[in-house]
This record gives sequence, structure tokens and C-alpha cells, in this order.
Amino acid sequence: MKQKSMKNALLSLCFLFSGLLFAQKSVNGTITDQDGVPLPGATIVVLETNAGATSDFDGNYSISAAEGTTLEISFVGYESLQVLVGADSVYNLTLQEGNALDEIVVTALGIKREEKTLTYASQTVDSESLTQARDMNFANSLNGRAAGVEIRKSSSGAGGSTRIVLRGNKSLTGDSQPLIVIDGVPMVNNRGGQPGMWGGIDSGDGLSQINPDDIESINILKGANASVLYGSQGANGVILITTKSGEEGDTKVTVNSGITFENIIKLPELQYNYGAVNGAKESWSPTSGNYDSGFVEDFFESGSNYINSVSVSGGNNKTKAYFSYYNSTSNGIIPSFKYQKNNISFKQSTKFLNDKMTISSNIILTDENTANRGPSGYYMNPITGLYFFPRERNFSSFQNNYEILNTATNVMTQNWFVEDHHQSNPYWILNKQPREDRIRRAISSLKLEYQITDKLSFQARASYDYTDRKNEQRHSAGSNTTNVGPNGRYDFSRASDDLFYTDGILSYNDQISEDFSLTAILGGSLQRVNFGEGVSASNGSDNLFYANEFNFQNFATNIQVQSTLSSRVEKQALFGNFVLGYKDFVFLDVSGRNDYASTLALTGNESYFYPSYGLSAIISQMVTLPEIISFAKIRASAATVGNEVPFNRINPGNGINASGGVVRNTTKPFTDLKPEMIETTEFGLDLRFMNNKIGLDLAVYNIKSTDQFLSLSAPSGSGFTRYFVNAGEIVNKGVELSIRGNIIEKDNLTWTSILNYTKNTNEVVSIHPDLDNLSTGASEGFRSLFKAGGSIGDFDTYRFQRDGQGRIMMSGGKPMRSAGYEYAGNTDPDYAIGWSNNFTFGDKFAAGFIINGKFGGEVFSQTEAMLDGAGVSLRSGQARDNGGVSVNAVDENGNAVSSANPEAWFTAIGDRNGIGEAYVYDRTNIRLTQLSLSYNIDTSTIGIPLESATISLIGNNLFYTAEAPYDPELAMSTNRNAQGLDNFNLPSTRTIGMNLRLTF
Amino acid sequence: MKKNIIYILLAGLVSFSSCTDDFAELNTSPNQITDVSLEQNFNHIGAYFPTMLDAFLGGRHQTTYNLAADSWVRHFGCPTPFVAGVNNTTYAPVWINQLWDKTYNSIMAPSSQVIKIAEETGYDMFVQWAKLIQVIGISRCTTYYGPLIYSNYGATGDVAYDSEETLYNNLFSDLDQILSVFSANTDYSGFSDFDATYKGSVPHWIKFVNSLRLQLAIRISNANPALAKTQAEKAINDAGGLITTNADNMILSLYGNIFHEYTISYPWGDTRMSASMESILGGYDDPRADKYWAPVGDALVPDHPDFPYKGIRNGAFLASKDLHLPYSKLNISFKDATSRKLLDAAEVHLMLAEGNLRGWSTPLSAKAHYEEGVKASFAFWGAGGVDAYLANNTGVPLDYDDIVETGAVNDFTTRITATVAWDETATNEEKLEKIITQKWIAGFTNSVEPWADFRRTGYPKLPTNYKNDSNATLGTIAADDFMKRLPFPSKEQTNNASGYASGVSALGGEDKISTSLYFDTGGPNF
Repeated sequence: MKQKSMKNALLSLCFLFSGLLFAQKSVNGTITDQDGVPLPGATIVVLETNAGATSDFDGNYSISAAEGTTLEISFVGYESLQVLVGADSVYNLTLQEGNALDEIVVTALGIKREEKTLTYASQTVDSESLTQARDMNFANSLNGRAAGVEIRKSSSGAGGSTRIVLRGNKSLTGDSQPLIVIDGVPMVNNRGGQPGMWGGIDSGDGLSQINPDDIESINILKGANASVLYGSQGANGVILITTKSGEEGDTKVTVNSGITFENIIKLPELQYNYGAVNGAKESWSPTSGNYDSGFVEDFFESGSNYINSVSVSGGNNKTKAYFSYYNSTSNGIIPSFKYQKNNISFKQSTKFLNDKMTISSNIILTDENTANRGPSGYYMNPITGLYFFPRERNFSSFQNNYEILNTATNVMTQNWFVEDHHQSNPYWILNKQPREDRIRRAISSLKLEYQITDKLSFQARASYDYTDRKNEQRHSAGSNTTNVGPNGRYDFSRASDDLFYTDGILSYNDQISEDFSLTAILGGSLQRVNFGEGVSASNGSDNLFYANEFNFQNFATNIQVQSTLSSRVEKQALFGNFVLGYKDFVFLDVSGRNDYASTLALTGNESYFYPSYGLSAIISQMVTLPEIISFAKIRASAATVGNEVPFNRINPGNGINASGGVVRNTTKPFTDLKPEMIETTEFGLDLRFMNNKIGLDLAVYNIKSTDQFLSLSAPSGSGFTRYFVNAGEIVNKGVELSIRGNIIEKDNLTWTSILNYTKNTNEVVSIHPDLDNLSTGASEGFRSLFKAGGSIGDFDTYRFQRDGQGRIMMSGGKPMRSAGYEYAGNTDPDYAIGWSNNFTFGDKFAAGFIINGKFGGEVFSQTEAMLDGAGVSLRSGQARDNGGVSVNAVDENGNAVSSANPEAWFTAIGDRNGIGEAYVYDRTNIRLTQLSLSYNIDTSTIGIPLESATISLIGNNLFYTAEAPYDPELAMSTNRNAQGLDNFNLPSTRTIGMNLRLTF
Repeated sequence: MKKNIIYILLAGLVSFSSCTDDFAELNTSPNQITDVSLEQNFNHIGAYFPTMLDAFLGGRHQTTYNLAADSWVRHFGCPTPFVAGVNNTTYAPVWINQLWDKTYNSIMAPSSQVIKIAEETGYDMFVQWAKLIQVIGISRCTTYYGPLIYSNYGATGDVAYDSEETLYNNLFSDLDQILSVFSANTDYSGFSDFDATYKGSVPHWIKFVNSLRLQLAIRISNANPALAKTQAEKAINDAGGLITTNADNMILSLYGNIFHEYTISYPWGDTRMSASMESILGGYDDPRADKYWAPVGDALVPDHPDFPYKGIRNGAFLASKDLHLPYSKLNISFKDATSRKLLDAAEVHLMLAEGNLRGWSTPLSAKAHYEEGVKASFAFWGAGGVDAYLANNTGVPLDYDDIVETGAVNDFTTRITATVAWDETATNEEKLEKIITQKWIAGFTNSVEPWADFRRTGYPKLPTNYKNDSNATLGTIAADDFMKRLPFPSKEQTNNASGYASGVSALGGEDKISTSLYFDTGGPNF
């Protein structure tokens, strides 16, 4: 039975059957488990025709099948069942809970495989988990859903980017973000610009343009072993998104309508009792007064998010179609912020040539508009001026009159109490420096599958992903003169990203003998990408001819309008994969891929090959194990993958500067560049206990990255300014543990729980003989720096100078700062836990929540340092209340000091380049990431032809506990080098709302 | 049939991945210029010159000059307590590599490529022109660090430094070579498309070459008086002549960019008039003050209400940035500047005045050159009243009071007792003080040579730092002493270890800010 069911499953899923045509009739019934509980979502397939259907919420199904054909019913966690269709047309079927490993998972290139044959770790997240909380950026919902996945969300709000890293940072200079794949085909996930210490805006990423309601499941291929077939692009792992398809049967309409409200969890702790002396911009008055304490809180608004979507699906045994429309609108916590997204998807598949050929196509169209996305950093950020505002002044006078006429120039000019590069009138920025970001995107794909023989099939695919990005900001004359010219400033960029991908794959499937089975694929692919091709221009603090006219004609002659092209790469590949099965319990998996990459042109290394090997054995079928163990599998695999080298590095050309001069390329050509190599070994264990009630999946891995591509400063006397080397070694070691349990399984109460544990340690083993360390950015007392023996994510700050007793050394009433930067911490957590839970109470109520914990790691807040330096932090106020800062210090004469003057102390440790040690916090935090309660409305009594109606109460990021005075999980930048850094980020928010889901 | 299909598919797969011919082109940026394309209009040899000329004083150079030589020679004062008030201006350098990197990355590296291309294609004039760019760059850079990589530049492996003595000899002999080729091609017109300075006029470049030679001769006049005399007289006597009128000045186009000190002063608010400028210009009642600086309100200048300019002491104690922001900014007219000077007639005349004192054969007397120099400077800046100024034999620099600070913080008493008017009966030392003080005033906006002059001669008698954060690691500067140099960039210790050792050895002292350079002999000027 087992063997047959496997074979049939393979047949039904890998092959497109050409069957004889039978007289069709409608077959229906209800599918339940052994306790009589209806099973929604079970798959029903007519083996001979490959027609399929899914059971509805009450376990009912309907499918068209002919007498004499075989129905196969499968459901995750249950034994598949086959039924011969006879004269009856009603078949009520009961599935037995069984070996969940017959579960089919989507692997690299969209190839579907039985989970039990896999020799590497992969973890699937279903659509329910992704969408139940209606997060505006659905990728954030992956947090804690799978082991080995590090998620950092941007502080910029709706439409912001998400940083995803699987199994640690693997490159000294590269980004280490995984490849995103939709239905087997790579998609562009370019992140736009990211803020730094000095300012900037998160321009979002490509992932946010997908309609989360279109996603059927996300499978995470964490290691190179799993992603080797994607070649170098998959070196950092792959996120495989499978979208929903039309289903055979009656037309199904699903409507989702949700609204959530967004509120700040926590503002920085500020004082409102001490103002400034003599009109200074810092609030360092020693005498307290009674001042407005509400203006900071009043500045922020309650955000609201609306998400509406509708999908229609249906089809017959020849053609299936799925259509969806999605619309979301978000008004964030910053006044004037608005995010809007519209998304249309259409997917269809049709069978031809006696069902031997299937052609499917998919189109996704997205239009995303954002106004005044929230910035971070010092410059042009409304919240710097808001927080710094001297307490004795009247904020509302600046709120209501953010502009005044400069009679000398007849130009409306910013009204603010001080001219300071760090701050502007917040309302001026929002109203007079508006920013708009628009993204339009089309992803289209076509797939042809042809069943050549029973055992051999061919598929060809082509996909084109085009994005048009436009970013504009119009800074009015009279804005902060540090960044904006006297007549205003115009920032413009418009660029397209396009990706063309095509592949052809031959698949062969055979039961070679009684004991041996073989699955083989052989294929080739071609991919061309052009990223960032377009135009950009900004006059910065230079002048415009005429005030407040924002177009290119108005640029003075020294302003460069630049043609841009950030990357242009062609990759070709040949690949193959062979899975040899023995007695259905041992599987050997061998893959190989040869890449041809244009970025390595002229090096002689354009063509490079790498292999992967894996072995899995289902112990529980080989030997008799104690009764409690219902299933046991071990797996091991090893893989090598090349990592990409960026575009135009081998032999860069000369540039033209704004004054028309030629900037000669002085980087030494690197004609023997090699691809970076990532070698992974992985061992895994999959155990199930007590009739699969409890499952445990453990993976341990070791990832060694070598031949890192580094750009080094050339010795001054060499004749060049920079040169490249292949050097360095990074090792990531980790453990991923996922435990799932059906803790309670009663008629009126079920509780399933999944606990994911992730631990990754990263070590920079070596860098390069000429290089003691590699700094990826230093600014304002924060430096991201890697050394041999250290880890990626290490950062340095200034520290206190201390005497032998650990007392802070003071001089002139101020603490002494270390001479240079010193190690302060690492932004990555030691380990992370995600605990998700789902409950059902009878058939009406359901609930779910997820708790995430990150343990260890450090973060740094320049915000807190600046607030201390400006005398507006609550600490600085309390210190004045108490007549001093209590310290354990010693002065220059060796006398112990227990109290320091607040102004002297905080201006020394805070402000720019202060003693950053005081602002390094433990990243450890535990949070209630999601909570949902849902109720199924009884649709039979309301007289509308509704199949189901579910109303849910949902909450996101509801509560967290952390030592840090701000949310340590929020990233200012989703780039690698400013992780764990806070510099006037928007505060963390929670969303609470409700969603109504109707199916017809 | 089915087999055939398989073969076709397999063949298709193989052919699919065999076309990599266009990879090299794909991997180049269409927005960059190739060397082949640059051959059009001879840009392969010419187009780098604007960029390299702009590298001397153009671009953004706050940490290269404004917080370095401009501060150490007391031209500009800084209101901002950068890096918690401990930085280059207080003798605790944090910006060390800037001029070095500018010289090697933006001047030496591209000019070496130009020399190579021009040599290969037979454009000797361009070879010499690029060589001249290197001489200018290196001669400026050595005033910061001392020994430099020059004659061995471009060698593989570790590259040895030239000692300063060798360096100056090499620079002089390079100037010989440049001069001989230029002199033989005075009607060459190939530079004109690339030369915003002299519009391709070779005779003007010859005047500059001679004037640069004189500048280097003056610089080593205490270190090697004999060589200095030989080289100076060679410059003076060359048929091509010197820059003696403002029309011949070596002027660098700003290439459409804003005069950078304007940006630092206005939008950034990070530079102001120095206290020494207030003291010297105010004491001499110098009309150029009105060209250099923006006036301030009376409240800031109770001690000299007729001279409404207020400066910040260099190496000042700065409680906060706001305090000194109201002090004199750069004059607003710099906003519209389109060029700036690298070497001008005023400097040449004042050098000739000094040369005369040193017994070199000069066209005119010391007095005449001194007065011609001051007049040229007044004319350059568009200031009037030069005759009255030159006749002023009573005015001496003012004592300084930092009005926004309490007590004596940042205050100083001037050490200068010299007046402007020439006194033929004075000693050479007294005459030199007047000459160098005038050179210091006239040298405004290009502080490299004034800082070298100050270390070489001790003039003008500038005030010391109020705040001295020098330390044993980078070198200790005594309270009555001044910054001597910048250390070599620390990266040299790792990626050019034996070269670095040769540099330190050539320096003849520790690689610290307290070690005097070759031209700064510490001995008497005469």
C-alpha cells in the first residue's frame, strides 16, 4: 500500500496524465477524520484525469469523475485514501491519521517532492499564518514561524522593507539576503535606498508588492543544500512562494475586509520641566518650570490600515483560473504619511493535446504609492526637531505657523527657533518637503508542461518581472540650509528593474526495480537582469534657478542629471538532480549545477561548477523502534555553492563628474577574480512520537564561506587606489529545532503548538593579510567593524575610561572617554525562539497567537545619546530633580565622586560622538507578535448564499518586554551595516483591528 | 518520435548555455567611458586635467584644509567642537589621511595613467603637463607629512619614500624637464580644450613653472641655502619669466562648484574668521578685511567698534557650537566665486622680496618687491587704499578678547610688534617678519604655503592654541609651540610596511605631529 500510494502520488503530481476519456459525472461527499470531524482543505484527485478539488470548511467536496476511475484523497497528516468510483455518486470518506511524511513540498525550481525524500531542512509556512494578522508588510509575519530565519523589520512603517537572513551572514561584503522565488521563478527583491546615521528613507523592497492573500504557502529553503539548483543566487537560501491556483469545481469567491488601528507602543522617555537658558537650543536650565508636556505625544496620530481583497477561482477539468484584487491603504502615525497599494493577479492553466500538455500563465500587477515615508537619522527628519524642542517655548506657535514670509526675498520660509542642521520645524518638513514614492510592477510568467511518456516529462518556463520605481522629493525654498539650496531642492530618481528568466527541465521518474526508484531532472536556465536603469538627479544644497520650481530645467549648470544602471547581469546554467530511492526508506540525492556568469567575464572563471550530495534514511521503516516513536528519519547533506560577484567590478571604466571632467578609473583591474564559495554540511533528525501527535525536527549545520570578494584600499605607492582580492573565511554554525505538538485534540477543544528555536554563531575566521579589520561604516560614535576572530554584526563605540576599581575616571567634572572606538557588542541575538499556537473551540471559535523571543545581542541608540545631550531626556530631568547624576567615579586627583553635574555629565556621555557605552542595550526581548480570535458565523441561517463567514479580531506586535528604552527589533536600515542602530527612528507601533472573511 | 524529441530537447539545453560571447560587454557600465571612446577629441590624454586641477583646492575639503592648515596657520577659526572638542584644531588629529589620499588617489593615480597613455601615443607635452600636476600635488602634500612616495611611485610590492631632500631635488629636476619641453613648444595649442586656467597658453604655464620653482626654493632656503639660491636664480633668470602681474596668476576654476569655504561657513556653520585675522587685519586697518569677512554687530566688537569683524581663537575652548556662530562668517561675495588662486603675483613678489634679503639676484629691491606684492594682493581682492596702508608705521595687531567667554578664556595678547610700512634701516629679520606677515595675509584661501612659511620662519608671530589636546601617542606639542606636521596614514604601516619604515627613517624623528620637517630647521633665518 505504502509503495503504491507513493507511486500514485508521484504520478498524480509529477505527471500529467493522458487518460482515456470517461463519461463524467459529479461525485460528492464529505471527508472526515476517524472521529468524524470534517476535514477542510483535503485534496481530491482523479488519478486518471488528474482533475482535482478541495474539500470546503465543512469537509464537503464535489468533483467530476467517470465510473471506473480512481479518486485519491489526501490531507496533511493523514494516510491517503483511494476509492474506485462506482455507480454511486456520493462517497463520504474517512481518513486515518497517519504518516504525515507523505506530505508533498515544493522544492527548488518549483519541483514538488515528498518531504520524506528530502535530505535537507525546509520549513513551510501556510497562508493562514502569513495573513491572519493582516500585517501591512506580510514578510514580517514570517517572524518566529520557522527556525533559522532572522527577520528585522524597518521602522518606516507600511510599505517598508524587511531584512531576512537565513542561517547567518555569509559574506563580508555581500548582503546575505535570500533569493525570493514565486512559483519556481526568481523575482526581483531589490531594496531601495536605506537610511543611515545622517538621514534617509527606507524605500521598501520588492516583496511588499505581492498580494499576501495570493500566497498559498511559503517554503523556506534555509541552506545551500536545498537551494543549489538556483545556483549562486540561492547561496543565501531561498524563500519559495507558491501562489494560489484555480481549483476545479464551482466558482469560489473569497472576500477579505480588514481594518486595523496603529498606535505607538512607547515613545522615548522625555522630560518637560526644564527649559533652555538664554534661548539656547538645548534644554539645560537648572530650574524647573511648568511647561507643555503633551506636544510630542500630540504630534503623532493614530494610524489606520484598511486591507480589502477579493479572489475568484474556479475551473473545469481542462482549464482553471484564479483572479484576485487587493487594495490596502495605510495612514501611519506620522501626519501626512499615506501608503496605498493596488494589486491584481490573474492565473490560469489549460490542458491541451489529450491533456498531455498544460499551459499556465500568471500575471501580477501592482501599483504602490507612498507619501512621506518615515525617515530616520539626523537630517530632514521631523522627529529630531520635535524631540529637541526647548521646553520653555511654545510648540503650537510653530505648529500653526510653520512658514513665514521672508520680506527681503518675498519667499515663504521656514519658521523655527534655531538654525541647526539637526532639526527643522516638523510641520515644515511634512508640508513643505513632501516625498512621493511610486512603484508600478508587472510580473508575468508562462509555463508549458508536456508529458512525453509515462516516465518522462518536459517543462519550459519564461518569466518577465518589470518594475518602474519613481522617487521624488520637493524641498521648498527656506528648508534647512544644510541640505537644501536657497531656492529649494529637487530630488528625482526614476529607474526600472527588469528580470527575464527562462528555463527548460526534463524530468524522469521510474520505479527501476522492486527496490529502487529514480527521479532525475536535467535542465538549463537563462536569466538576464537590469537593475536600477534610469535617471537620477538632485541639486542638494546647490541652487535652483527659480524658487520652488521642481524640474530639470530649473537646475543650475553644475547639477548633474545622471543615467543610472546599478546592475546588469546575465547568468546561464546547466543543472541536474538525481534522487535514488531504495525500498522507499533510503534516498540518495545528488545535484550539480554549472553557472556561467557575465559578472566574471574576462577572468577565465565565467564557468564554474558546484555539487551537492544528500542522504536520508527513514529509520522507523528499517528497524523496529519503541512504540512511542511513530516515525524517525535522519538526513545528511553537503553542498558547495558559488556566491555572486557584483556587476562591473572586473574592469570598471571612467566616469564623468558634474563639471564635465573625466574621473579616471584607478581601481586595479581584477582579471583572476573567482566566485565566493559557500560550503555547507547539514545533519538533520525528524522524529514523531505518539502517533505523530508530537513531532521534532532538528537541524545542525556548518557553513563555511571562503574566497570572499573584497575591495581593498590599494597601497598609496602602487599606482592604484583600490584593488580586489578573493580572501577571507566566515563560518556560521547553528542549530535549528522545531517542535510541534497536537497538545489537545478534543471535539470541543484543540490546541496545536509549534516551537521554533534558532541558534546561529558566526565567526570571521580570517579576512586578508593586509587587513586587520573591515569596517562597513563608522559615524557619530558607532562603528560596524569585523575582525578575524570576531563576528559579522560586531560594533564598536566609545567607552568610559575606568580606573582599576572600575570607577569612571573624570576630568574637569566630566567623564573621560576612551581614546578610540572599543568593542561594544554584536547585533545578532545568541538565540531566538518563536512559539506559535492555534486553538479551536468547537466549530465556531478559533484563536491563535505567536510569541517571539530574541535572546542576547546588543543594540545602540544614538537617539538616547542625543536626547541626553540636549537635556530633554527624562534621565536628564530626574538628575536635575535629584541635584545630580549619581555616579561611581573618581576625579583627576583620585577623589571618589558620587554625584556629577547633570549638564556636564550628559553633554559628555551623550550628544554626537559621546560615550556610546552608555547607550548600548541588550537586544533581548520577548513579544506577543500576533494574536487573533475568530468566530465562524453560521451562514445557513442568514439566508445569503454564503459558504462561510469568519470574523476575526487581530492584533500585531501587541506587547513586548525589553531592557532597551526603544524597540530593539526595529531596524533603521535593512542593509547589513546599520543593524541594531537607532537614530531618531519612528517609535514601534502595535496594530489592533478586525477582519471579515467571506467565501461564496 | 519520442526519442527524437528528447534529443532535440537535450540539444536545445546544451546550445542554450553556450553563448557567453557578450559577457564582457554586459559587465561594463554604459554610463562609463572607455579608454577607446576617450581617444576622440584627444580626451584620452586631456580630459583628466580639469579633474586633477580641481583636486588641488576644489571639491569638498573641510577636513583636508579647513580643519587642518587653515586652522594651524590661523586663517579660519572653528565654532564647532567636533569630536567632543578634541580634534585636529586642538592638536589631537583625527583627520589625518585626507590630503594624502587626495594626492595619491585623485592626483598621482590618474596622472600616472595619463603619463603612460600620453607616452605610448607620443604626446610629450601632455606627459610634461601631467608631470607638472604631480609636482604641484606632491609639493603641497609634503608640507603636511614630509617624506613621500614619489620617485618609486607605481613600483610593485612595498614602495620606499623619498626623503625630503631627495624629494625637492627630484621636483627641481622634474621642473627642469617640464620647462625644457614647454620652452621648445611655446606655440603648442593642444592644451586649450582642457585648460580653464591659462586657456592652453604654454608661455603662461612656463611662468607658473618658474614661479613654482621659486616657491620650492624659498621653502628650502633655510635647509639648503645654496641649492635654494641656485634654483631661485634659475627661476628668476629664465627667459619665460615669473608671475609678476595678476593677469598671469595661476587661477583654478571652480568648475561650476560653490567655493567650499562658503558652504562650510554658511549652510554648515562650521567655520568663521580666526582671532588672528581679527588681530592682524584690525591692527593694520587692512581694507582686505572687508573682502575676506562678513561684518558683525557692534555688540561683539566693543574693543574696536570701527573694525566690525570678530574671529574665533584657534584651538579655542568651545562650550557649544552656538556660542561662536554670530562671529564673522566668510564674506558673502564668495558665494558667487567661480575660481580661486593657487599661486599669484603677490606671493611671487613677496618671495622675491625675501630672496633679495637672502642675497639672491632679484629684479627689484626688497622694498620694491614687498610693496609690489602688497599692491598686487590689494588689486587681486579689489581693495583700495593701498598707499595709505603701506605708509602705516604705527598700527600693530590687536590683542584678542573672546567676548562670549568669561574671563581670560581664549583671550591672547599679540606677539607682533611689526608695522606694515617698510623700514629700510631694519634688520633682515625684522624685514622678513613684515614680508611673511604680508604673505600670510595675501595667502588667504590657500593656506598650504603660509603654514609652511610659518614653520620655516616663525612668522607671523601667531598665538598658540588655547586648548592643546596633544598626547604622547600622536606627539606632544609644548604649550608655547605649534603643530609641526601630520603623521603618515596608519594604513601605510600595514600595506606598505618597509616603505613606511623608510619614510620614518627619512623623517629623522618619530612619526608624530611634534617632529619638525626638513624645511623647518629651527635655526636662524639668516
